[in-house]
Amino acid sequence: MTGKDLATTVRLADERYRMFAEKLEDPLAYEGGHSFHFSAKDNLCSVEFQARAGSRILEGYNPPFDATAIKRLKEAGGLLIGKTNMDEFGFGSFGTNSDIGVPLNPFDTTRCCGGSSGGAGAAASVLDGHLSIGVSTGGSISCPASFCGVVGLVPTYGRVSRWGLIDYGNSLDKIGLLASSSDMIARYLPVISGPDALDPTSQVQPPLSIEGDVGSVAIPEEALAGLSDGVRKAFEEAVGRLEGMGVEVRRVAMPELRFALPAYYILATAEASTNLARYCGMRYGDIVEETDLGFNELFSQVRSKDLGNEAKRRILLGTFCRMVGLRDRYYIKALQVRKLVIQAYERQFREVDAVLTPTMPFVAPRLDEVEKMSALEAYHADFLTVPPNLAGLPHISLPCAYIDGLPAGMQLVAPHWEEGRLLSLAARWEREFQYRRPEGGA
Amino acid sequence: MKIGLEIHIQLPTRTKLFCSCSTAGDEVNSSVCPICLGFPGSRPMLNRRALEMGISIAKFLNCTISERVWFSRKTYFYPDLVKNFQITQYETPLGRDGHFTVGGRRIGIWEIHIEEDPGRIKRAGRAGEEIALVDYNRSGVPLVEIVTAPDLTSPEEARAFLSDLLIELRHLIGLSAQDETTVRADANISVGEERVEIKNINGLKNIERGLKFEVKRQSKLLAAGKKITRETRRYDEERGTTLPSREKEFEEDYGYIGEPDLGTFNIGQMARALEVPETPLARASRLEREHGLASSSARQIVLTSWELADLFETLAARFGAETATTWTLGPLSSHWKELQERHGDGAGEKVVPIIEEVHTGAITDAEARMRLDVLAGREAVIATAPTAQGDLEQLVVRLVDEHPEVVKDYRNNPRAANFLIGQVMKETQGRYASKEVSDMIRKELEKRV
Repeated sequence: MTGKDLATTVRLADERYRMFAEKLEDPLAYEGGHSFHFSAKDNLCSVEFQARAGSRILEGYNPPFDATAIKRLKEAGGLLIGKTNMDEFGFGSFGTNSDIGVPLNPFDTTRCCGGSSGGAGAAASVLDGHLSIGVSTGGSISCPASFCGVVGLVPTYGRVSRWGLIDYGNSLDKIGLLASSSDMIARYLPVISGPDALDPTSQVQPPLSIEGDVGSVAIPEEALAGLSDGVRKAFEEAVGRLEGMGVEVRRVAMPELRFALPAYYILATAEASTNLARYCGMRYGDIVEETDLGFNELFSQVRSKDLGNEAKRRILLGTFCRMVGLRDRYYIKALQVRKLVIQAYERQFREVDAVLTPTMPFVAPRLDEVEKMSALEAYHADFLTVPPNLAGLPHISLPCAYIDGLPAGMQLVAPHWEEGRLLSLAARWEREFQYRRPEGGA
Repeated sequence: MKIGLEIHIQLPTRTKLFCSCSTAGDEVNSSVCPICLGFPGSRPMLNRRALEMGISIAKFLNCTISERVWFSRKTYFYPDLVKNFQITQYETPLGRDGHFTVGGRRIGIWEIHIEEDPGRIKRAGRAGEEIALVDYNRSGVPLVEIVTAPDLTSPEEARAFLSDLLIELRHLIGLSAQDETTVRADANISVGEERVEIKNINGLKNIERGLKFEVKRQSKLLAAGKKITRETRRYDEERGTTLPSREKEFEEDYGYIGEPDLGTFNIGQMARALEVPETPLARASRLEREHGLASSSARQIVLTSWELADLFETLAARFGAETATTWTLGPLSSHWKELQERHGDGAGEKVVPIIEEVHTGAITDAEARMRLDVLAGREAVIATAPTAQGDLEQLVVRLVDEHPEVVKDYRNNPRAANFLIGQVMKETQGRYASKEVSDMIRKELEKRV
């Protein structure tokens, strides 16, 4: 495809699915010796675009540096074609909590793409040979991968430098990749991985190797409660297919998983509420004209105006959980639960190579259904994606079924630093199961 | 009266605590980067040197060192705080439960931790139309916070504590002399039952003045039968008074959580490998102990210069404490600046042979003094003839009378005489031969034993 053709494809795709917060507009910008094209979720910094993380309060923030992941892909010959839409700061499971743009599902534009890396899911789904950088805090790669019918890989916490990532929950945030098949991910995951002096948490990691395999999986019974009928049936069929491929399947109990969701929402919001404190009208957000306001009034006004409802809810939740007198009951206890969840996985990994669940309990909901959901219902939709995220474990979501034409994913979780075996299994799976591309295409 | 201090001192690192910006920016907002301005997407990296300095201080102050430490976020909204949280240490300070001795009194140290400094607010414009400007050069500058137990008993003692502490830290981690004016402290003081906190006082002098004012204010209230309310006050530097702080009276909730970006540090191992060198006041007390010097003399030698103390120890080892004391407190102290200027590190080597000759009696004290004058580049002054012998005897008798404790000590420890020898040499400014002086003092002491 010529640069001009690519520019047209990207423009048309964006008109249909609104996946970009900002993109290269000039067709000439698409010319030149790149060997592949990629996009980055809008909470990753790059020098050529604003980084708004789906929030009005970051309007006009032009970072003077590239995120390490972006820099490494550029150095590997990649062309950054745009920044993809997302829930504000990553706060959402459907891509709809955004002031910049809500991406539409390529399989049905009345439906959501999932979140929070919704635009990344849509771009990977409709653009040929495209690589999307996504970010997962509690399921923000797996969920859109499942809803948009693409492969989404979240590496081990610390595998990919977070330099240049606008923080949501620093102890949970992981940069990962989405693409229409696993080979792109296997090729470029090693590029973005590895120690980086700019992110101390990336500095102690074993080398990444794309090898190993999954010969056995454990399916926790807790993951099978609360699924839609369609997803339950599709998942059991996929399990049968895996068994046919020679994968040993064990049914197990992992009762600790039930506590992962509340622990996650406490830790993530506690950290988020401190991360968002800096957006106070001093450098970010519309500068209020009334200069006689005291600082407290000024920042309250700016934050009331420029932050969305979900951001406010999470600031309040997170601030509550770390208040004197409540901190031990919520924040500290959630830290302890995180350890229990890690141990629960470690116990399984003594017996099997991976833990298998569906990715989401249902297929992509319609945008009007999303609107009617309560916050609690929305949070609960993450109950399958949150546990590996809380534990910092690598996981992958693979398309495993199409239910009335809508994709559904399965999620495999591996031990720390073992993302390689997930990609090996994905390659085998893709020989057995044909992925579909959305009919509308780009 | 009980006084406790929370002391903030800047660690003299070249770069900031979490980025590589210089700590020495002069032009406003010249030493800043995405990290110390808290740009979204940036994150901190720890300056190892600052951590080492903090551990040295904790170890020096006899703290129990934490095995494993991490950092925390202290969240509060203030325009000089770029992220609206400060990265500090909360659950795991570098050290706890230490002590530092000042004037023979042991003052407890509750804890020591390191943290980042916020920026500085500068007010500009006409009164009434004032605007606040922020300079972020200081944002991210490393600070050490030392929290004392409320063991200090007077404003004077608080000042002496800080002054001695700074002397030691100057040597230990290389603080500059300006730190006497830039050291910041929050002081808790209770004259009666209830304590009052004075926030953010700058410099030794102001800390003492602020505390003195507060003692007076609280004493007056108590004398009038009134109650002291627990409150936070601020120090008004211009008037030398403390005023109720406009800030909220309730305890602010900082909502501490761990700082996930920096990870954890196993500092126990680092601390064990770290040697704490001998500091000036520690050396002074050793000289006092080993050579029977008066504490003020020992302090004088060490604080004149570290190298003078080296020379003193060389002289003491070769010619005995008596000779060493006499000459070090006398002409060597007064000539030291010139000797070092002219001879640098070689000053000691040039001095030793002269003292050796006078010690063995090859030359007289007056000749030695002349040669030292020449060595220091001074015009040699021909010593005036010693005044009558009677003067010296009178002086010796008077001093021995004045110091019965020396007589007492002398029975068990002949070196106690050195204290009196030093005093006589000082009062007579070396007009007598040291041997003569020491002989006379010993004779006088023997009489009374």
